[in-house]
Amino acid sequence: MTSTPVIDVERLNLSYGDFHAVKDLSFQVRKGELYALLGTNGAGKTSTLETVEGHRTATSGTVRVFGQSPRDRRAVRPRMGIMLQESGFSPDLTVRESVRLIGKLSQRRDRVERVLGIVDLTHKAGTQVSQLSGGEKRRLDFATAVYGKPELIFLDEPTTGLDIQSRDALWDAVDKLREDGSTIVLTTHYLEEAQQRADRIGLMHKGAFHQEGTVSELTRTLPAAIRFSLPAPAPALPLQATRESDGTFLIQTFDLPKDLYILLGWAHDNAVELRELQAGPTRLDDVFRSIGS
Amino acid sequence: MLSIALGELIQVFRNRLVLVTSFIMPVAVSAYFIHQHETFADLGSLGYIAAVVMFTVGAFGLYTTTVTTLASRRQNLFLKRLRSTPASDAGILSGLMLPVTVLALVQVTAILIVLAAVAGGPTNVPLLVAAVLSTVIMMLGLGLATAGLTNSPEHAQVTTLPVSLGAIAVASWVGITGTEELTLLKRLLPGGSATELVLNAWNGGVPVADSLPLLLPTLSWVVVAVALASRLFRWEPRR
Repeated sequence: MTSTPVIDVERLNLSYGDFHAVKDLSFQVRKGELYALLGTNGAGKTSTLETVEGHRTATSGTVRVFGQSPRDRRAVRPRMGIMLQESGFSPDLTVRESVRLIGKLSQRRDRVERVLGIVDLTHKAGTQVSQLSGGEKRRLDFATAVYGKPELIFLDEPTTGLDIQSRDALWDAVDKLREDGSTIVLTTHYLEEAQQRADRIGLMHKGAFHQEGTVSELTRTLPAAIRFSLPAPAPALPLQATRESDGTFLIQTFDLPKDLYILLGWAHDNAVELRELQAGPTRLDDVFRSIGS
Repeated sequence: MLSIALGELIQVFRNRLVLVTSFIMPVAVSAYFIHQHETFADLGSLGYIAAVVMFTVGAFGLYTTTVTTLASRRQNLFLKRLRSTPASDAGILSGLMLPVTVLALVQVTAILIVLAAVAGGPTNVPLLVAAVLSTVIMMLGLGLATAGLTNSPEHAQVTTLPVSLGAIAVASWVGITGTEELTLLKRLLPGGSATELVLNAWNGGVPVADSLPLLLPTLSWVVVAVALASRLFRWEPRR
């Protein structure tokens, strides 16, 4: 992976009338990265994404994609594939005709049957888009985005409405594209997907970054949790703990292995059963929930 | 542009409602006018019949279909999808409107040939061609502008009525009563000068040099329509 920025956003501002949707946002996406743009509802991620895609004009600030303005469609679009949040296909065209049309307009070279095979829509090639299910339309959208293996791919809520097999197939295809050097920009409400896949995450709230970094950089800002319940009476705990409303104890820690080791040692030494013991690292969900709290 | 045009052509022939309302109905109306050409020629002239059929196709075959198509493609985000590709805005619009434009021109040409064969041909064919082409361009421009005010294909049933019915009404008014009275008003109304141009081309009796300035009001409407379209046209639905 090189450090060449495929996307370079500098002090981006977007306003709709009096509403300041995006405020002084700056970030870069490097070649080969999978960058996840996440955020609460109304955080400004769709506005940001659409500006980077070239669908919107920035109120102020600069956005460069491959070193050029994303509004220069002729220069930039042949190198990027875009999976929109909503379908955007003509209902009267067939699946094959839709892929062929968008593929031809993309100016990239590929075979329609190949991309339909990736998303398991070969058997639906002759079906009109109006006859497809919501999940099949998402797969068609993905097929057009990856037509010709573009260098940069925007995936806006790519797995919404997909069954688990389709999700796995989609992520397998994304993995293969990344092996070939493609850069991915992802937005999703499925945080576990971002946690598993993203090299870096930009977490937006109220038009600005709440946090930006790798998953571990984001999660290390919050303590991990150890939860358990104890039979009464029990000896004094070896660590600072709070008793929750459901009767369980909560230990928050920035050093989970060490404190868990201490707790288990204490339980063993005192022959105390730690009932319903749960311990795990901080998840992206926890970081997400901490926004605004 | 040709890829988009081909896709549009496929959709036009696959969508029976569009096919019937935009292409079969104007042909049926035109067939009625030609069948009753003696009655309508007595009312106005053969040039009047030519003007009315031209505006029937222009209003319903071209203008209404243009507005409905653009509103529909915007509503289902197909325009946004096309703008996600390297295609230029001009290329996208041209591709979307090319099939209906070609079909409208073919329709008008075929209908006028039939009218000429049945009732007698035009005196000045080049002038008639100029009238048809300027009308087609005007209806396209007005279609673009109206599409900016139209939220959905259903909404198009309302927003297209003033121009489509107005243009046919003006064509009938000018075709039947001529332009000796209220000359300026009739020529400035959309379709007024184009109708007079068709009358002159079909019926004859007016020097070409006197007819050519009639192109100006029609082309002025094109300028107005394009200016309105550039302000009103949206590529994405309102949120």
